[in-house]
Amino acid sequence: MRESRKCVLAVIVILGIFTLGAIGYWIFSADMPDGLERTMENAGVGEQEPVYKAPLDYGGDYPMYILMGAVGFFAVLISALGIAKLMAKKNETQPDR
Amino acid sequence: MHIPDGLMWPIIMAIGWGVAIFALAIALRKEKTTMTNEKVPTMAVLAAGIFVAQMLNFPIIGGTTGHLLGATLATLVVGPWAAIIVMSIVIIIQGFLFGDGGILAMGLNLANMAVVAVAVSAVVLRITKRIRTEVSVFSAAWCSVFVASLVCGLELAVSDMMAPGYYGITWTVSIPMMIGLHSIIAIGEALITISIATYFLRVYPGLMQNARRAPEATT
Repeated sequence: MRESRKCVLAVIVILGIFTLGAIGYWIFSADMPDGLERTMENAGVGEQEPVYKAPLDYGGDYPMYILMGAVGFFAVLISALGIAKLMAKKNETQPDR
Repeated sequence: MHIPDGLMWPIIMAIGWGVAIFALAIALRKEKTTMTNEKVPTMAVLAAGIFVAQMLNFPIIGGTTGHLLGATLATLVVGPWAAIIVMSIVIIIQGFLFGDGGILAMGLNLANMAVVAVAVSAVVLRITKRIRTEVSVFSAAWCSVFVASLVCGLELAVSDMMAPGYYGITWTVSIPMMIGLHSIIAIGEALITISIATYFLRVYPGLMQNARRAPEATT
């Protein structure tokens, strides 16, 4: 019970920090390329049409960015929880060698 | 550092997939025998935290930005094998759900950010384990981003050599620019990682017991 409370607290803290940090991101970094994009720009290489069209993007404004961050956060959380739980379950059901 | 589709020579992308699948298979096999119920929530929250941290780009020089990679942080908290799984989950969700990095290039993204960066973190943490924790963590975080960017620069250069004008970027641009920019981004990575690691050491020392075991886990 105490562990799950700790996890809920960690989720709230991380999402809180993300919400605040994203303000700085939108003010200072949103329109700028990252290291690889800058390298591509300098070499005159453009990004090609993606082979796969993702269902979501990170959003074009601050509220959407926060929402998409939360969507991604929980998608990763649930995926990692599922994979790790499956491994832990298999590990615990395996007989000692 | 998320490589889009159409940038790399297809053989390089295939090699990337090979490296990523091989490393992930070993990581899953290793963790299957050591994963405990206590480690499950830590691993999940860590992965989700790295996902949102990667969304927070910070400006460096010349109108360029960087963000936390999180490989060293993951290695510190859950050990290198689990860190490969954590980083892979983040990269796969970024690619499939948000189109961050190409689907065909996902193998290379996994190889660079989930395998190379974690392996470098684990090796540097192991080499520097006798010196101050802060110096060790700083070195590991800085090296993880630097080496991953160097590998990415080499992949761009080889792609250009194999199919000039179609794939990659000439080595005279790709390698100096990738390592030049990422050597600065890596300072941000190191400072963020060290802040979080120091906080964990003070507030949740139990969590960082895994961290102290992390370097040994590579043997």
